[in-house]
Amino acid sequence: MKKASKKIILLGHFGVGKSSLIRQFVENTFTSDYKVTIGVHILKKEVEISPDETISLIIWDLEGYDDIKKTRASYLLGTHGFIYVFDVTRPATFENLENDIAYLTDQYANTPLKVVGNKADLVTKTYLKENKDMFGVAPDFFTSAKTGDKVDDMFTALAKELVK
Amino acid sequence: MLETYRGTYFHPRTQFITIDTSGNVLESDNVLFALKKGDDISSVSGFFEGLASYFDANEDNDIKFTCIHLENKEQREYTCDIEFKTFANDQPALVIIHDFSDHYKYYQEVAQSRNESVINSQILELKNKYLKEKEDFKNTFIANFSHELRNPLTGVTAFCSVLQKTDMTLEQQDYVEVIKSSADHLKNMIGDILEVSKIEVGKLSLNEELFDFHELIEMLEFTYSVKAKQKNIEFEIEFDEKIPRYIESDKTRIKQVLENLIENALKFTLSGKITVSIKQNQRRARKVNLNISVQDTGIGIPEEKLEVIFNSFTQLNNAQKFIGTGLGLSIVKGLVELLEGKITVESKVKAGSTFKININLKYPINQESTSLERKSDIERKNYLSKEKYNILLAEDSELAQMAVLKILAQEGNFFLDIITNGEDVIESVIHNEYDLILMDIRMPGTHGDELTKMIRSLPVQNCKTIPILALTANLYDTDKKRYKKMGMTDIIEKPFDESTLLKKIYKYLK
Ligand SMILES: Nc1nc2c(ncn2[C@@H]2O[C@H](COP(=O)(O)OP(=O)(O)OP(=O)(O)O)[C@@H](O)[C@H]2O)c(=O)[nH]1
Ligand SMILES: [Mg+2]
Repeated sequence: MKKASKKIILLGHFGVGKSSLIRQFVENTFTSDYKVTIGVHILKKEVEISPDETISLIIWDLEGYDDIKKTRASYLLGTHGFIYVFDVTRPATFENLENDIAYLTDQYANTPLKVVGNKADLVTKTYLKENKDMFGVAPDFFTSAKTGDKVDDMFTALAKELVK
Repeated sequence: MLETYRGTYFHPRTQFITIDTSGNVLESDNVLFALKKGDDISSVSGFFEGLASYFDANEDNDIKFTCIHLENKEQREYTCDIEFKTFANDQPALVIIHDFSDHYKYYQEVAQSRNESVINSQILELKNKYLKEKEDFKNTFIANFSHELRNPLTGVTAFCSVLQKTDMTLEQQDYVEVIKSSADHLKNMIGDILEVSKIEVGKLSLNEELFDFHELIEMLEFTYSVKAKQKNIEFEIEFDEKIPRYIESDKTRIKQVLENLIENALKFTLSGKITVSIKQNQRRARKVNLNISVQDTGIGIPEEKLEVIFNSFTQLNNAQKFIGTGLGLSIVKGLVELLEGKITVESKVKAGSTFKININLKYPINQESTSLERKSDIERKNYLSKEKYNILLAEDSELAQMAVLKILAQEGNFFLDIITNGEDVIESVIHNEYDLILMDIRMPGTHGDELTKMIRSLPVQNCKTIPILALTANLYDTDKKRYKKMGMTDIIEKPFDESTLLKKIYKYLK
């Protein structure tokens, strides 16, 4: 039987850790070197969403933008899910979070979306708790591509929503 | 020939592939990726899986994708633009892959350096912001904390003065003297700390006045000759008499700078001599340029420490014999800079140090006709017109109430009303005719500065003119200015001692 395959896209400013999250999820590795993504890299990973159901995620790792509306329309064709990533340590990456999320939920009303604050290893849990209003939108996950914290959880949670 | 060259040097970088409605390859020229008839196009990349729903479109359509990363079976990477064309009337779909790797490699390098520099500058900005917040927090904390310490100290110093006037045995008098000098010492240190935190948050400003510079120097010479003699050290001031007598500047700050430097020299000099030199460099347009130096034969400062001695909270020699907060020099530097001067230091270990200041001071051109009207405020009490004065004390701290009460009671010239709560003050001012009001700032209910503003606007005679003196430990210039703006006549700093309080009261009584 051919497994269901679903296309998901990672969006967000440059340098927030989109490629790193995918690398951690797919290969369980992390590097502190920053190689800027241009255009798009496409990776695949099988995800078990229940003991007898596996889907194949086609993950599109996009280049970072500072304006979500600049994302090339063709990339978004036939997308089943979005992950919007920002960097909890750099305000520039979440300054427009509220607007960007409003834009996505407006344009792609029925497409599941996860909002993710990455690089959580660089700040304390208390800091995140005390400053959660600072981001404008309550993130679904605080992840660390470096330690792997919540990375699998985040991808799996989205995958489960895709087959509903 | 051209054809031969073309054959040798032209490498086509575009692959054409046709597929059937389920995405299996029909034909491929294999310029970039090796594909056989029947292969699933998705074996090239997951990219094509996203297009699966268009494979059987059966209509004229053209979708273009730019900058897609693909890998061939030998793991060679290509960065390509991809065109996907479908046609009406059952023609097979066409995939065109253009390899633009070289072009995109250049684009990647540009993006790399742009992104890195943007991120680095954001991080730097954040770091600076964080450092500044930390620094501000530290200074505000110190300022508030020392402020809180001043209130209880007011009680201690004021009651020492009161106690000294009671009948005591000689032994008891000695004890009180010790308490008093310890409290004074503590007060000075707290003062230093407040001063530094104020300088660091930029809340200090100058208070210019006309004063007798020669007299100031004579006073310093007198005070420190005595102190030096007690330590068996020589002390000398070389003063250039050509310097104008009357100067227009912040006398308190200038005095503080000189005192701090001399104190510092005294502290670190165990034998030898301290020489203060004050020389006129030049005069120009109502300004005199002075070279001031304070030279000692003390323990000196090692070269590597010369840079940090002006920093706050560093004390070079932590050995017990040199007491103090170690803030003196940092205050001096802050004040000299506030006065728009420059300070430098030269030093040799075991030989001594020389602190040098260069500064411009304003002076009135016509020195002869300048005179300073002077009448000590406390002397004024002999010229008072009334026998008894009504004074209102608005103050919630019992310690402070008691202190004021005792001091005024000894004078015998005063009736004192005490009110502890902001709301009742107005009521009382309307019904009584006070000669002067002592007003605490931080009181339950309405604060003293607000109350003053209200009093000033009361339609009761004398409310516009009655002297209102603030009692406060809050010494930020912005606060002081606000108090004045709210209508306060003057400010008495907490902790105050007997003579400060009386001086100010007599100054404003008619
Ligand atoms: N400490 C820490 N560093 C991270 C984390 N995630 C990513 N980084 C670092 O952040 C930098 C950028 O990571 P990338 O994954 O390349 O970011 P990106 O979002 O793909 O960037 P673009 O491709 O330019 O859009 C790299 O130096 C990573 O090592 C994280 O969770 N913790
Ligand atoms: Mg990336």
